[in-house]
Amino acid sequence: MKGIILAGGRGTRLRPLTHTGPKQLIPVANRPVIEYAIEDLREAGITDIAVILGNKGREEIQAHLGDGSAFGVDVTYVVQGNPLGIAHAVGCCREFVGDDDCVVYLGDNVLKQGITDLVASFETGDHVAGIALQHVEDPGRFGVADVDESGRVHALVEKPQEPPSDLALVGVYVFSPAVFEAIEAIEPSWRDELEITDAIQWLLEHHGSIDSHVVEGWWKDTGKPEDIIEANRLLLEDVEGAVSGRVADGAEVSGRVDLHEGARIEADAVVRGPASIASGTVIEAGTYVGPYTSIGPDSRLVGAQIENSVVVGGSTIATAERFVDSLIGRGATVGSADGRLPTGNRLVVGENSQLEL
Amino acid sequence: MKVFTLACADCGTVVAANELERRREMHCPGLDCEATLRFSDLPEEARSAFLANREQYRIRD
Repeated sequence: MKGIILAGGRGTRLRPLTHTGPKQLIPVANRPVIEYAIEDLREAGITDIAVILGNKGREEIQAHLGDGSAFGVDVTYVVQGNPLGIAHAVGCCREFVGDDDCVVYLGDNVLKQGITDLVASFETGDHVAGIALQHVEDPGRFGVADVDESGRVHALVEKPQEPPSDLALVGVYVFSPAVFEAIEAIEPSWRDELEITDAIQWLLEHHGSIDSHVVEGWWKDTGKPEDIIEANRLLLEDVEGAVSGRVADGAEVSGRVDLHEGARIEADAVVRGPASIASGTVIEAGTYVGPYTSIGPDSRLVGAQIENSVVVGGSTIATAERFVDSLIGRGATVGSADGRLPTGNRLVVGENSQLEL
Repeated sequence: MKVFTLACADCGTVVAANELERRREMHCPGLDCEATLRFSDLPEEARSAFLANREQYRIRD
């Protein structure tokens, strides 16, 4: 079986972070989100992986993943160029997939329980495709599957007004090579994209059996800032504390803290896990890092209080202010205005930023 | 819809026809690959089919 990871897209909902890099490299619990997809594929025994690249952030993703050997996989790059839809991206992999089956994984999705069960479920039956589903409270916002008691899919409906079930499509699919026949048969949708749901619907109508697998653990599409923070929280729930960095006498560290080698917590700083602090980062005296916070590499925190937040890295936060539910982009500097006149906030805010002051 | 691609003979990196047609000629985007890829490297049949349906492979502004 082959793997296909979609790493294109424009990341418009994550601006301004995606003005300077692809969304798939935004770290969650201090790992770029695309690494979770690679890990899930590898754990399912899939090591031959195509990574689909768009026009944006292509070089950064290639520089990060290389040939895949650092992650225990073999990566082939597929340049889709224009984002013409998931089905078009899969169609670009026809030669790569050949006569194998393939797993298609959206590179900004994270699943708690991985994909091993989904792949096993597909392989034990005689199906042309397998889809991952999850019970959701608001199915009208998603692609929804009409599924019988045996798990066989009868129809897919995109954002229905009257959902046939509460089972939403998760961003992972398994396909037999018949998917390429389906992709060739369908036409672009109203939004000029070849839709994967149309391809699956075509398979349903022309080939019959499509397997479904209900994902029991959480699933997050990290397409928006609040999703990144939520995914970070969910991943840190399971983080194992490991102090490889240095904790000074007089520092207070409690709970599960993943302190990377080369990171430092100085005296009179407080860190309460679950939290992750990356290499090269210094938590200085008077700083409080609260639960569900990830601080990226080469950052410096001086006197700040921060909780349930993600600092991407290369940042300096030197103010006594309190930050919650925040996503701070690479290289950002947050300083103190104390003692400066006139009083007030001094901001240099990038396009599409969101602030609550 | 037919999807046309070209695989670099040197490194195996795959490029969609829409990207090749947009640039006509490009350095292979594969890691450390020195090859040049051209739209004209696609088989004649693929080029004709692509050009006959070119609008399908573009994003409308």
